[in-house]
This record gives sequence, C-alpha cells and structure tokens, in this order.
Amino acid sequence: MDRALARRLEARFETVLHGPAKGRHDQTEVRIGAGDVQDVLRALHDEPEFHFTMLADLAGVDTGTEMQVVYHLWSSTTSDWLRVIVEGLSRDDPRIPSVTFLWQGSEWMERETYDMFGITFEGNRDLRRIYMPPDYTSFPLRKDFYLPDDAARSPGAGVRHVERTHSPVDAAPGVVRRTSA
Amino acid sequence: MATQTPPRSDAPPKAPAGTHPSADDPHVLLENEYDFYEPIPPYPPRTEREAEFYTLGDGEMFLNMGPQHPSTHGVLRVVLKLDGERVVDIDPVLGYLHRGVEKLVENADYHQTISQVDPLEYISSLFCEWAPVTAYEKLLDVEVPRRAEYIRVLSGELNRIASHALFMGWFALDLGGLTPILWSFIERDEIVEMLAALTGQRMLFNYFRIGGVNGDLNHEFLSRLGDWMSRAVGQIDANIALLNENEIFVRRASGLGVIDSETAMRFCMTGANLRATGVPFDLRRTHPYSIYPELEFDIPTRTEGDSLARYLLRMEEVKQSIRIIDQCLDKMPDGPIMAKLPRLLRPRPGRAWAAVEGPRGVYGAYAISDGTDQPFRLKIHDPSFIHLQAVGALLPGNLLADTMAIMASLDPVMGGVDK
Repeated sequence: MDRALARRLEARFETVLHGPAKGRHDQTEVRIGAGDVQDVLRALHDEPEFHFTMLADLAGVDTGTEMQVVYHLWSSTTSDWLRVIVEGLSRDDPRIPSVTFLWQGSEWMERETYDMFGITFEGNRDLRRIYMPPDYTSFPLRKDFYLPDDAARSPGAGVRHVERTHSPVDAAPGVVRRTSA
Repeated sequence: MATQTPPRSDAPPKAPAGTHPSADDPHVLLENEYDFYEPIPPYPPRTEREAEFYTLGDGEMFLNMGPQHPSTHGVLRVVLKLDGERVVDIDPVLGYLHRGVEKLVENADYHQTISQVDPLEYISSLFCEWAPVTAYEKLLDVEVPRRAEYIRVLSGELNRIASHALFMGWFALDLGGLTPILWSFIERDEIVEMLAALTGQRMLFNYFRIGGVNGDLNHEFLSRLGDWMSRAVGQIDANIALLNENEIFVRRASGLGVIDSETAMRFCMTGANLRATGVPFDLRRTHPYSIYPELEFDIPTRTEGDSLARYLLRMEEVKQSIRIIDQCLDKMPDGPIMAKLPRLLRPRPGRAWAAVEGPRGVYGAYAISDGTDQPFRLKIHDPSFIHLQAVGALLPGNLLADTMAIMASLDPVMGGVDK
C-alpha cells in the first residue's frame, strides 16, 4: 500500500473520513458518509495532489445491515487503487448523490446499481432499470432476495455442508445476513 | 364455367374460441404483430431523460433496431431517433442476455465462480476469469507460482490476438466487406484450436484456477504454437494489408465517431478505445500485475480518436502480443503450476479489487469475503458495458448507416454488457 497517499488523504479529508485510511496489497481504502460523496470525489478528481481522473468501477454492496456504494479510482500520482466506500445507507431507502457531473460514464453504472440494489442516485437524470424489465419490482442483488434453489448447496455440486451461510438463525431481527466485511 | 374457390387468405386459421392466448401461440403473434415492432414503450416515461427521448421533434421519427439484428454483436435493441437519415439520439435497451451472474456467484463457492464468469465476454474468456481469480488470490494472500503466471500471460495474449482477429473481421463485415472475416478466421481458428489443446475448450476455457492454472503446457499446444508463430507475423501482416490498403475501407472508417481524450475519460472508457484518443493508459504498464513488468513491449497510441484509429491500434496490439508470446516462451520457468491451497477456500473477511487489461479494456472484479466458503459479493466490471454507453455520445449527427461502423469499432460484446 502507498503510505504517502494514505497520509495525504488523511490530512486532506480529516473531518469527513470514517476512521484512518486502510490498505492491503495494491489498494488503499477510505470510508465516508453519503453526504460527503460529491465533495470528496470532486476533490479527488480535481486537485493535482490526487488527480484521480479515472473511475474504474462503481459497485453497490448490501452488507445485510446497510447499503454501501464503492468507488474504485485510478490515478497516475500513486501506485495504488483507491477504494472509496460510502457506508451507512439505510436499507429501507438508500439515497446517495450521483457523480455523473464528474464522470458521465457513471450514469449506466448507477443505473445498474439502482436496478440491482434499489439505491437512488440523486442527480442521475436517467435512473431507470437497465437489465430487468420495467415492470419488475424486486432488487435481485439484495441479500433478502433468495434464489429459488441454492444450486451450489445441493449434494450434486459436490460441496460438503460445512456452513449454511443463508440461514442466520442467531441473527438479530432485521439483520438479513451478518458479516464482518 | 366458374369454379367456386374459397377466399384466399394467408393468415392461419384463428385460434379456437375459449383457448388461452399465449406468447407461443402463432395466432396471438399475428394479431398483435404491430406491437412487437413499436419502439415507444407502452408505459409513461420513468425519468426526465426517457421523457425527453420519447418526445418527437419536428420531422423526427423512431427506428427500432434489434434485438435480433445481424450486426449488433449479440442481442441488443437500440431505439434510434432519426431526422431524415441523421441520428439525433439513441436509447439502447439492454438485458436480453442478463443472467444475473453476480447473484449466481454469491450462491456458489469460490471455485465455481470461474465457470460462471466465462461466458461474460465469450470472445476473450480468459480475461473474464483472470480478474476474479486475481481478486480471490488477494483475499487469500496466496502467491501464484511463476510458471503459472507465465502460462497465464501466454494464453491471455493468445486470447487477445484471437479477439482482435475477430474484431478485424466483424468490423469489416459491419462496414460491408465479407472477405476479411474469412481471412481473420484463419488466425482465430488456429489460436482457438491451440487453446483447446491447452485448456480443453475452444471458447469458454475455464482454465485459470485460484492460485494457478488448470493444466501444464502440453506437446500438442506447443507444437501448434511453434508452427503458428513461424508464420504468424507474415499472415497477420497480410490480413492487415487487406484492409489498410483498401481505400474504400479507410475512407469509410476515418473521421467516424471521433471522441477526444477528455470525453473518453469522462465516459470511463479504457483499453484501445481510450488509447486511440492519445491517452497511454494500459494497465499492463500503468498498474503492472502478473509478470508484465519483466516483459518488453510497447503501448501503441494514436491521437485521431476515430473508428480507423481504434482499428489500427488493435492491429498494432496484435504485433505487441506476438512479442510478448515470444518472450514468454523464451523465459518460461520450470516449477509448479498451482499454489498449495485447501480444496475448500475460506478467505478471511476482507475486500479485494483486481483489474486486468483485456482486449476491450479494463476487466475488474471487486470481491468481498465474509469468512465463509462463498463470496459475499463479487462485482464484475466489464469494459463493453462502459463502451456501449459511449455510443450514445458518438452517434448523434452521424448517418444511420454509420451506426454499425461506430458501434463495431468500440468492440462491445453483449455477453459482457448484460452480465
């Protein structure tokens, strides 16, 4: 990991980061709240000490307790990938500002995330379903969307039943699936 | 003498009364024929952009292209808004090939991911495997043996040539030339057979494993590769001359679908499409992975940013790939091809992102582990999806006939777009 980048990030975004910048392998990761997305990403994109001009990926994550939106950025100023995790979106009504004003190409990635998780990107002017049909009402990649049969768990797949990841018997009410990720 | 002939009717007899109409019923299809080709969706617009697109201006019309169109490279439907013969705007409709691969991966164990992601970009399957496999290796903190890395690069570059050869063929085909695809299939078929000898399959290789590759180099692969390498450069040059020296092709493709570097970056474009605008972004050099730092090759760029530049750049890349294959064969180390790993993988909780430079751009994978034997989440980033989005910015103002020429020059594969 690039320690200099982590220090620069911590100095610049001291007030908005949730905890220190972490790193593993060739990745540096910071966590922010949904309210700071536009400011942080604009600063990362525009300021010459960061210069993260390339949005490599935009992913939605349902951790079972909350929603996250994860941005992967690339810059020529560092040898690391930067991962910006926007955490703490509510599962009932996840809302986050759009970054289409920086990267027009994020429009479809946001549409995909909306389609799969139901996360609303405020400011995206074309936020409709992209893969699923328009009259579809569920969000398939949410953790409370179960497949009709868990093919991988069938004995035919040759997998031993060592763990049952999909039955959180000891989970608190409201928690769909617990994770430490 | 007049004979009584029954009234002539081409329509098949009506469905018997009282039967339930279904989509499989030919009578229903006939009666509602018009609905199937109606470009305007039968519901009110959901977004500002959709409302804007489906409102016709003076003299404009809609044209529905696809989903079954011979040159959409898969099942893609594009609604075009035309003013005369000029394209005003487009609205691509995706999802015809959507398999929900990310959900399937979450419900299978780590090894099963590889066969699930194979059919994404079926032209360059090895790169679709490479990204998630590398992400899992980062989760597991496992180091891949050097011989396995060399085999990965060797087979990957072969796959890149096969993909670019096919691109050359179908780009020319979309522009109306039939010969190049027959020529390019000579190369592609040879490489595909070669990879079949190595991996056991012609298209969906299922070859990379977490921690290595599935099989070592074998005699058939190496002898085929040796044969091919001895004539590859000449053969590829002949193929390239077929198009580069064709004045019709060059005039048709140059100045078409021009995009500048800043717009390309804003559209998150990668790969040859970005390099054709002058940005020397190639992950093999800008963010080195695997054994690429040990190899010598150039990153060709062009500055025109048009269809012809994208085509020429890919042909340059083929030559660089041959250089890489040469060096791989030269430096191929001995040793194991798999890291020592338990059969059932349970990485400790964490997150990892890995990206590789494929023939179409950056293939990425973001994997989250929660400590169980199934990935908690695998996000697959596919360059075709991004590039297809940019078509919407490239097309307006061009002729309807140029639609395919521009779309084909970006080289999207619908299997990857729809996931």
